[in-house]
Amino acid sequence: MLLASILFMPAAAALLVLMFKSRRAATSFALGAGILEVLALALAVWRISRTGSLELGKYLRADSLTAFFLVNLGAVFFLVLLYSTSYIRHIPAGRFSSPRWFYSLLFLFLFSIIAVYLAGNLGFLWIMMEATTLASALLVGFYNTEGAVEAGWKYLIVCTVGLAFALFGTIVFYVAAVHAGLQPEMALQWYALAHAGKMLANSPALLKLGFIFLLVGYGTKIGLVPMHSWLPDAHAEAPSPVSAMLSAALLNCAVYALIRYDAITSNAIGATFSHRLFIFFGAASVFVAGLLMIVQKDLKRLLAYSSVEHMGIIATGLGLGGFFGIYGALLHTFTHSMAKSLLFFGAGQVREMVGTSKISMLKGLARQLPWTSAALVVGLIAIVGLPPFGLFVSEFSILREAFSQRHWLAALVLLTTLSIVFAAMTFHFLKVLPGSSQMAESKTAVSDRKGPEFVAMGICVAVLITLGLSIPAPLNYLLKAAVAVLQ
Amino acid sequence: MGLFELAAAKMLSSAAMLLFGTVLLMATAKRISTCVYLFACQSAILTAEVVAAGYVQHMREAYIIAGMVLLVKVFAIPFALLWLMKKLRTAHDVGASLSPGYSVFVMSGLIILSFAAVRLYLIELHATEVILAAAVALILNGAFLMVTRSKALMLMMGLLVLENGIFLAALVTTFGMPLIIEIGIVFDLLIGLFLMGIFVFRIRDTFDHLDVSRLRGLRG
Repeated sequence: MLLASILFMPAAAALLVLMFKSRRAATSFALGAGILEVLALALAVWRISRTGSLELGKYLRADSLTAFFLVNLGAVFFLVLLYSTSYIRHIPAGRFSSPRWFYSLLFLFLFSIIAVYLAGNLGFLWIMMEATTLASALLVGFYNTEGAVEAGWKYLIVCTVGLAFALFGTIVFYVAAVHAGLQPEMALQWYALAHAGKMLANSPALLKLGFIFLLVGYGTKIGLVPMHSWLPDAHAEAPSPVSAMLSAALLNCAVYALIRYDAITSNAIGATFSHRLFIFFGAASVFVAGLLMIVQKDLKRLLAYSSVEHMGIIATGLGLGGFFGIYGALLHTFTHSMAKSLLFFGAGQVREMVGTSKISMLKGLARQLPWTSAALVVGLIAIVGLPPFGLFVSEFSILREAFSQRHWLAALVLLTTLSIVFAAMTFHFLKVLPGSSQMAESKTAVSDRKGPEFVAMGICVAVLITLGLSIPAPLNYLLKAAVAVLQ
Repeated sequence: MGLFELAAAKMLSSAAMLLFGTVLLMATAKRISTCVYLFACQSAILTAEVVAAGYVQHMREAYIIAGMVLLVKVFAIPFALLWLMKKLRTAHDVGASLSPGYSVFVMSGLIILSFAAVRLYLIELHATEVILAAAVALILNGAFLMVTRSKALMLMMGLLVLENGIFLAALVTTFGMPLIIEIGIVFDLLIGLFLMGIFVFRIRDTFDHLDVSRLRGLRG
């Protein structure tokens, strides 16, 4: 029951919010429904951590790994909602682009992501993963400018084709399971497949073929190089709360899907095959994104490439395996979500107040928008992985695993790229923040406006510092339970 | 052998050849509407294939799936695409970056490639070689159309052909996924096409053309 209610509450909210024509009414309804949903998610996570797993019928199933990702999603969604309440002030009313449509699509997006997490059936998981693309495509193209239309179209086409390959991979897994002797109605349940182990081992060629297609397909959604082409466009052109939602919630959701398939494949034919692929694509993403960050001209595109880089770090951690590798990778999904939300919120403030996020057009932000700039600086220190913020802990854990396995190549790529990224991001931020403003005389005085957006950014900073100093016991417990599911 | 068994067996054995025909004709097509009609033919062949497989295997579910494919892919989607073209009132050529002859040449190569690819998995799959190769050829042809044709509507066509290939692959290897999953996939496909339709209108209104290879404002 609990699973059904956390799944269908966002869907109901998406429909109901359309009844409110005025911005104020729609906002208060969305905030209320969002808080209710977050509380329900918290209850579900608590129940799962007590009992180990929950299930409802054939199609919904949640274990500790799901619970950990739900914590992440709930936190991000709450922050995005809080930030949106004041951000959507300037959205003009139009067809499909008024505040109520914004909230409706946002809730649909949340619904599809939660459905991916709760899916007990891999076919259902694919359907809902495609639904995340469909729900968010209109959000990416929300502003209806030239860039937004192009980015939305590209996002829709690239991800749909990518997911078509993932569907092929899903079918190949289904075929392998049916040939291995599983009942057709059980052959898509990830729980049954993960425990079928040796039965599946009879068709290694099929499993490998399927896994490659799934890695390409869901890897497109994650934004792994070379399937990342949609990601910078979509992140840069979407409204900033949506960018945060894409980077901090959607990418993790696709990572979750691959983790499930990795568990099935590793159980059946050993971990070497899938883990090598993870390390290869992860290291390639880290390296290529790191180099591309040097030449970026737009603040939000810079942040988007940083997302590609961090997804690469997560994939590398998963590929290394071992306790610290998986622990670090899972923790990194959470810490990256928080830091990237903070940065996209900050970049959104800049774009809203100054009117552009082009690096060459921005100067002297620290004078004009002191509080936003402070948030950006904290976000910068956090995202490049310096202490005392959470990303230091998770990256350190992954590197520790790399060194203890004597995986020198992965360690070398990670360390080199992390220093390149540090230099590139600091370089771009130093162009933007200091100096006197050029825009001061041209426009009406630009200044920080203190509202809910700063509460959202403050929460991000607080969470990042807490995670950097010591991971709270309940979260650590959940994280260890999630790692145990995978080992 | 009764008449129905004979018809079903003939259908199963000859469907692959008919599908190769549609694939090669699509590579030669110069107008988008030709591709839409060919897609409708292709989907009709798939429908017949599903019915034949359902008859031979005595599966009731297959008839529901066949009905769904007939309704959605033979009628609804082609009609919607033709309506969209009428509404858009833009040039009807496919915007090919390769000449028809060259396209057929590449596509024939891809068909041979799909036979070679299928070879590797025949032992594990227990499926007929030629029909499985047709499925892979449809997937490759869809991807080929998407890469070499620059009109927004042709990208949608390529995606549909690719999806037909995946559907056929699922059909011949497992006699279809569970019914509810098939319905979900078709539903996703419909919503996806609807959204692409919205974006096609937006592209035309914003850029005054539908040549997506000329959308290159976002780079780097």
